[in-house]
Amino acid sequence: MSPMSPEFSSGPEDATLSELLDRSMPADAEAIGAVVDTISDTLTRLDVPEQKRFEVALAVQEALANAVVHGCGNDPSKQVRCQVKSAPNGRIVIIVTDPGPGFRPDQVADPMERDNLNADHGRGVFLIRQLMDEVHFERSGNEIRMWKY
Amino acid sequence: MDINVRKRSEVQVVQLRGPLRMGSAVDGLRQTMEEALGNGDIRMVLNLAEVSMIDSSAIGLLVRFLASTKQRGGNIKLVQPNKFAVQTLRLVGVLNLFEIFDNDDAAVESFA
Repeated sequence: MSPMSPEFSSGPEDATLSELLDRSMPADAEAIGAVVDTISDTLTRLDVPEQKRFEVALAVQEALANAVVHGCGNDPSKQVRCQVKSAPNGRIVIIVTDPGPGFRPDQVADPMERDNLNADHGRGVFLIRQLMDEVHFERSGNEIRMWKY
Repeated sequence: MDINVRKRSEVQVVQLRGPLRMGSAVDGLRQTMEEALGNGDIRMVLNLAEVSMIDSSAIGLLVRFLASTKQRGGNIKLVQPNKFAVQTLRLVGVLNLFEIFDNDDAAVESFA
């Protein structure tokens, strides 16, 4: 799939997005929880419903985990960036960026296929797509934009 | 994450507290389960009542050890996963791999 494929296209644009969070963290698994919890707390203050908060928090957890492991090779000297923005209509977009070489989301194995159900890894991208309303990969796959309506 | 292990009727009952996600939480559970298997303990109950979140790395761990214990004639059973944990397990298609109970007693007795 070429970089011009829909997987790599930008999501819906919204000139009225407000920035809620812009944070960089070291590519360390132990650093993820604090970012996820901060986002969850922010959404709580905005009276986002519990179900929606949970789905966003878990999607962020998965996206940051992928960035740390696959984008940065678990190298804490590298940085992962996480941005959270909101629109007046309540839509939320999460943007996670890593300095890695990117990847081809169309080449991620389907964890729901029978042969993969018992696998001990490979569910992160799939789970993100289940939890969020729109998911777009940009910049050759080292940036993910996830929308929650 | 807090991990508390006790043995009841030849069943390892593992009480977890906190988010079960990539990092020290999953690593700690992995170590606990590896030690149990190494000791020949193939019957396990995981109490998830106080687990706020499980991520895909935790699910991968659970699925892997479920297969390992079953291969040896054992099992891993879950107690009180919250609605979000159930949702996550269902979303990735593995919920029906696990037996789920309302309390430790019922889960332990099911091994009899």
